[in-house]
Amino acid sequence: MTLASTVACRPVLVPALGWIALHAAALWPHGLWAARRLADGSDDPLGLAALAVLVVWLALAHPALRPVPRLGWLVAAAALTAAATATLFAAPPLPAALLAALALWAHLAAWLPDRAPRAALAGLAMLALPLVASLQFYVGYPLRAFTAQFSAWLLQALGFAAERSGAAMTVGGQLIIVDAPCSGVQLAWMGYFAACAVAAFARVPDAVLLRRVPLVGTIVLAGNVLRNTTLVALEARPQGLAPWAHEAIGLAALAVVSVLVIRVVAPHAQARPFTSGAAA
Amino acid sequence: MPGLDRNQSIRPHAPLGRVIVAIAGSLFAALLIVAWAPAWAQAEQQPREGPYFHIASSEPGIDRLPLKGTQVEVRIVGPIADVRVTQHYRNEGQRPIEATYVFPGSTGAAVHAMTVRLGERVLDAQIREKQRARLDYDAAKKEGKTAALLDQHRPNVFQMNVANILPGDDVAVELRYTELLLPAEGRYRFVYPTVVGPRYHVPGSEGGLSSFPATAHLPEGTPSTTAFDLHLRFASPLPVHDVVSSSHRIEVQAEDSPGAEVALAPADDGQIPANRDFILEYRLAGGATAGGLTLYPGRAGEDGYFLALIEPPRTIETVQINPREYIFVVDISGSMHGFPLDTAKTLLRHLIGGLRASDRFNVMLFAGSNRMLADASVPATHANAERAVAILDKIQAGGSTEIVPALERIAALPKTADLARTVVVITDGYVTVEERVFQLVRGNLGRANVFAFGIGSSVNRHLIEGIARAGQGEPFIVTRPEFAAREAERLRRMIEAPVLTSVRAHFEGLDVYDLEPARLDALPDVLGARPVALFGKWRGEPRGQLVLQGQTAQGDWQQVLPVTTPDPDAQALRLLWARRRIQQLGDEEALIGGNARRDAITALGLRHSLLTQYTSFIAVDQIVRKPQAALDLASVNHPLPLPQGVSNHAVGAAVPSTPEPAAWLALLVTLGLVGAGIAHVRRHR
Repeated sequence: MTLASTVACRPVLVPALGWIALHAAALWPHGLWAARRLADGSDDPLGLAALAVLVVWLALAHPALRPVPRLGWLVAAAALTAAATATLFAAPPLPAALLAALALWAHLAAWLPDRAPRAALAGLAMLALPLVASLQFYVGYPLRAFTAQFSAWLLQALGFAAERSGAAMTVGGQLIIVDAPCSGVQLAWMGYFAACAVAAFARVPDAVLLRRVPLVGTIVLAGNVLRNTTLVALEARPQGLAPWAHEAIGLAALAVVSVLVIRVVAPHAQARPFTSGAAA
Repeated sequence: MPGLDRNQSIRPHAPLGRVIVAIAGSLFAALLIVAWAPAWAQAEQQPREGPYFHIASSEPGIDRLPLKGTQVEVRIVGPIADVRVTQHYRNEGQRPIEATYVFPGSTGAAVHAMTVRLGERVLDAQIREKQRARLDYDAAKKEGKTAALLDQHRPNVFQMNVANILPGDDVAVELRYTELLLPAEGRYRFVYPTVVGPRYHVPGSEGGLSSFPATAHLPEGTPSTTAFDLHLRFASPLPVHDVVSSSHRIEVQAEDSPGAEVALAPADDGQIPANRDFILEYRLAGGATAGGLTLYPGRAGEDGYFLALIEPPRTIETVQINPREYIFVVDISGSMHGFPLDTAKTLLRHLIGGLRASDRFNVMLFAGSNRMLADASVPATHANAERAVAILDKIQAGGSTEIVPALERIAALPKTADLARTVVVITDGYVTVEERVFQLVRGNLGRANVFAFGIGSSVNRHLIEGIARAGQGEPFIVTRPEFAAREAERLRRMIEAPVLTSVRAHFEGLDVYDLEPARLDALPDVLGARPVALFGKWRGEPRGQLVLQGQTAQGDWQQVLPVTTPDPDAQALRLLWARRRIQQLGDEEALIGGNARRDAITALGLRHSLLTQYTSFIAVDQIVRKPQAALDLASVNHPLPLPQGVSNHAVGAAVPSTPEPAAWLALLVTLGLVGAGIAHVRRHR
């Protein structure tokens, strides 16, 4: 009797989702940290949306799960779980939680049929964590400086007297700051969320999605530069810009970015349904 | 080369290989970004200078509001106030902390003692040269000893540092100061400032004249996190009458007696306000002032000290006044936004409205830049006054406080022939360039009288009083619009009818030296009904008299004060003389520039145990309470409330930005588009 078939005996008693739930329960310190981050207001609860999409996907794909998990993925899940636990003692909670999310994903991947969108699910699992505030902290400034510089170039090309200084801009003598809420981190989260969600439900092959990741990033950066440039040009007017107009322009830019991201990812949807690994 | 076939060509990666290379490259780029992110540097940095908004940290275990209360005990004997301030620090967190608290003091305060109570132990602080005290403090902090350091940044701004307050500790730091109270028009005024207003600050070189400590401020409308209480007792030679406070609710006991007592009563919200100066005014019976010539015999082996307070003549007759030119310099920076600017506008209406038609006037408005209402001074006709007031009514405050370029422009204004110029500066004084301003007023505005109006509930009195002193004028403080008319009328009376001019004094029979002011034969004019104060040392036999002479509207005036028996209890004269001497040396230093009077000031501070710009108080507990505590020590800058009426504009003006849309709206849009995208894919599959 092989090891795989030994392990395969167990699922008869406990269904796949039960095992995954047990694994999730075992990773409770990470879940508790994430819940606290959401509850104390230190991060936007965007991760709940990614989690909800993941749960809906699982509910729909549940009948197609393999009756026997793949051993390699289980080993990876165990290793990642150990790493997540060890990281708790040596690093901030976020890296540990990222490893824990990947451990759960690897466990899920063990049950997934062939050609399942594993990469998209990995993306959703990571996006389910409270990431935005940390991303803002670590990569916010480079993104702001990048956005301000490209906006300054664009405005100069359009004939504006625009200069960048750090993450601030002076346009026609008016100081306008590209501060943390302007960095595009939220737009990036939305862009990758849209890519992963569409890829998961449209069963986009992993290699295709991974190849599209840099393109999605480029669309997000370009979208944020255009959004920022429009707002800066309007804000530099003597009368400024009304708050509702800020929101409207931001939402329009987000809609354009989302549509482009979906168009980049979705054409590669698979025509065929899942094939169960056990049946293969 | 082992393992490599020389003939084997390098083949392109398979698709999966390219993906792996792309991921590895992305991870490396991400690592580079994270490693060089400014966030790393930011995490280690705390503001070192200037005002900023306090941010409530969610970091557990650190008590970020360690100053729990300030208790003030005041005893007023004659014209001298003896003040005892006790600051209670308690650490209710789980980590040891170093608390830093920037707090205000009265401009004339001679801070002469500090004591630290740590549980049952009492530590007497020592006066040290400032750098030496800082080194001792840092060493004690590293060794895990509880220590307290008191520094002076301005004559009215101090900083307390208390290191190694362990969890559960209750540290009481008590400091004592003495102050001379001079009455104006027979009314005495005791002021205890409770808050340092946010100063407009351009960071200078470390330790230079322009340096100013970092001050954390609570946002507008947030009350002080520190309990405040004050109790005041009189030990007056005469009964005390008309005890009132324009700033706080008070309860007065035994009023109309020499031993009256004053306690603070809570406001409507049950708290005693700690976001404005406490101002108490009173009179002595019959409108008398505690004056005369007081001698202190001095300590063993040293000469004596004296204080002469000479009441000027009361009779004020309006004399024929030549037409004058008035230049009003009005601060419209961010800190004046709202209530202070409204008060300033009311004051200006009264000031301009009170001018005579033969006078001329102009108004300068300054913030980050400055502008004059007219190219040249205009006659103070009703129409011009109305026009100026109409323009002022439309002004909105905002921006920085570039007072130095504004005064430089005033100094460069051509003078109108045959018109004496009076410059009236109206500001809250929230700047850190006091010395530069004094230098400018002394050096360039010398041909004009300069008067300064402090506007607000807790103005920078050091600047207001210093401008007036340098410009041979008088300081005014207007805390509310309803006081504007009264203060404008005071200014008009002072200019039209100076109380005493050509003032000079001399001693007959008493050997005096080290006088303050230094030259008794050319004393400043007495503009308001305020006593002339002379300080100095004496030696030899206490005999003779002091003669003060001057010119009033009625002609020559003279008053003679006989030398009395030295009072061994008048020790405060020693401190007040030294304080006045240090102020004079500081003024000279500001004129010369650099640290020219550093040695003299340091010597005076050390000899008289006085806090100065070059000497600090330090107390160190000799018990090492927590070895290696410095490794876990959290630095906490205790926040100050914004002064009453001062808006958030004083700390930072709103600069437009380009934020992303609200997260929930963005999520709704994205979810909708994702749903539509999935549906579209499924339809076309």
